[in-house]
Amino acid sequence: MSLVTLTRRLLNLSAQGSPLRRSAFVLASDTAGLKRCSLPGQLQACCTRQRNVSTSTQPLRADSKVTINFINRDGEKITAKGSPGESLLDVVINQDLDFDGFGACEGTLACSTCHLIFDEDVYKKLGPVTDEEMDMLDLAYGLTDTSRLGCQICLTRSLDGITARVPDSVTDIRQSEDVSS
Amino acid sequence: MALQNKILLLNYKGYLREVFNRSFASNSRALYKSARNESLRITEIEDGREPERSVDGTRIRSLKEMPGPSAISNLIEFFCRDGFSRIHEIQIEHSKKYGKIFKSRFGPQLVVSIAGRDLVAEVLRAEGVAPQRGNMESWQEYRDLRGRSTGLISAEGEDWLKMRSVLRQLIMRPKDVAQFSDDVNGVIVDLIKRVDTLRSQQPDGQTVLNINDLFFKYAMEGMAAILYEDRLGCLENKIPQKSQDYIAALHLMFSSFKMTMYAGAIPKWLRPIIPRPWKEFCSSWDGLFSFSQVHVDKRLAEIKDQVARGEAVKGGLLTHMLVTQEMNLEEIYANMTEMLLAGVDTTSFTLSWATYLLARNPDVQEQIYEEITTTLGHGTIPTADDVPRLPLIRGLVKETLRLFPVLPGNGRVTQDDLVVAGYFIPKGTQLALCHYSTSMDEENFPGAKDFCPERWIRKDATDRVDNFGSIPFGYGIRSCIGRRLAELEMHLALTQLIQRYRIGVCPFTDEVKAKTHGLLCPAAPINLHFIERRA
Repeated sequence: MSLVTLTRRLLNLSAQGSPLRRSAFVLASDTAGLKRCSLPGQLQACCTRQRNVSTSTQPLRADSKVTINFINRDGEKITAKGSPGESLLDVVINQDLDFDGFGACEGTLACSTCHLIFDEDVYKKLGPVTDEEMDMLDLAYGLTDTSRLGCQICLTRSLDGITARVPDSVTDIRQSEDVSS
Repeated sequence: MALQNKILLLNYKGYLREVFNRSFASNSRALYKSARNESLRITEIEDGREPERSVDGTRIRSLKEMPGPSAISNLIEFFCRDGFSRIHEIQIEHSKKYGKIFKSRFGPQLVVSIAGRDLVAEVLRAEGVAPQRGNMESWQEYRDLRGRSTGLISAEGEDWLKMRSVLRQLIMRPKDVAQFSDDVNGVIVDLIKRVDTLRSQQPDGQTVLNINDLFFKYAMEGMAAILYEDRLGCLENKIPQKSQDYIAALHLMFSSFKMTMYAGAIPKWLRPIIPRPWKEFCSSWDGLFSFSQVHVDKRLAEIKDQVARGEAVKGGLLTHMLVTQEMNLEEIYANMTEMLLAGVDTTSFTLSWATYLLARNPDVQEQIYEEITTTLGHGTIPTADDVPRLPLIRGLVKETLRLFPVLPGNGRVTQDDLVVAGYFIPKGTQLALCHYSTSMDEENFPGAKDFCPERWIRKDATDRVDNFGSIPFGYGIRSCIGRRLAELEMHLALTQLIQRYRIGVCPFTDEVKAKTHGLLCPAAPINLHFIERRA
């Protein structure tokens, strides 16, 4: 695994908890007399965070997992499981799948590195695409008509067993050693 | 911002030669493995020999062979003919003359300009985990001097990545940012009131003079509402003294732009002889930092009070940052300072250009007005949730930023050795990504000089309208962190202004040209008519 991927993964791990939960924790340990810290809805959103909140109270049963087949850049099939509500990017991160450079902006819609390609029938099941996602897809390398960003697709039971292909690597113009690993 | 710190003081020639030789001697195997593209691939070579040809037979050229204006002609262009204010035009002239990649020399600083859409894409896609924009030494020096932290603009490497990871989780996801609609709409109420006050002060009852002054205050008020969870009173008839002081500090920073550029370029030992640039640079930063600190401290004190009283702490962005302590207090001061600085002029110039373009293109304005009234009616106040149903409003902002990209060029310091367009570019080279010239390129945008928000409208979800030709907010992990906030402020304000007024040209204002002053800004005041529409 390249240094780049490793660093990113470490950061992802540290950034995973819900801001809401951490706020409460910090205040509870730092200040006496405070019962609860409530923050506005604007700071809690997206699949990852909701999942983290829900798993803390009601652990998900193994049989509610959704199976996803990834085809990596070498054409190998990798099967991974994720929980409903997680995004496909979460699955790649949580399962430690080694797709170099994948999900650089941590699902904040600032890049298109979590670009995935689907079969047409699967693509239709993935739900509507927002304007912001379309704008980022325009900048994706190797774009197809059935491309989506992995960070924008939330797992549901109906997506069980789908296949997502990681597109060919971006033309790498870098010439130094660490990218060749 | 990036452009103002271009001047590196190092012996670049020697450095280049050294990097060039070293990397080719030691990395020949890696070169072959990592360069995957046919045209860029380098032939396998024996150890210790410089590769001369890529696989398809093209020779990899050195920087020496790259075309570009001579150092002397550049010196005359920039220092004698005030080229700094025409950087955007010079971009186009040079790219016509020298091609989509060329080199320029500013004193000791070599800059490789990337003026082709596909080349910009290649460079940005090859970025690592912590891209660097340019030399920020003078910014860092000020912060060291005062014991301040760096923020997202001035920080590099790990420090930058740590702060970026915190902040992007708070203000980059469109869904999270949509929650600020009410805060922004509260500021728009005051904006509209201010438009009416200003109009009423003119003999014709319609004119708003120097529209940028109004949008500057709107953008500042909007950013403060979001960042500080507080209002500054910038849109009131009498602006509170503290806000006035801040505006003065911001103007000083902006008006002394060239000064601050020299402040970074003038060697330290020259400062006793030419003290003014560095002094002004420091004093404007003092003003900006202290303003942020006042607001952060105020909120912190309120939170402490609430905690002491056993009340639940409720709040927005700043509260969250203070409570979670993912960044320390100094880092919060620094980021609040830099984010406010970055979010005012940028948004106000774009709003000024957008209304200017609407006034000069009444047919387009009418078309957008139709879309708004069909979708929302006359009186509905739009929120972020309505914006997807207003594609022309999104198109208006995109088209405005294509014609007047507020950052006409962005910087990158290469963090790997690259081969771009057949040239070997060693690690550590300052690149200038020429967004202005790519967005005015007929190949990328037919009828490039025309104002046409419709060109951004998609027929369906698979219709592609955009590419790296116009990326005003940048791309990737070092792209503009305030992008979604700025978009929200602009989408909502423009929708309400068009809904309420017919914006017209004012006889005092002829064609307004753009000039570069750090950012691309109107070279003359834009005066506009705001004529109330009857529902």
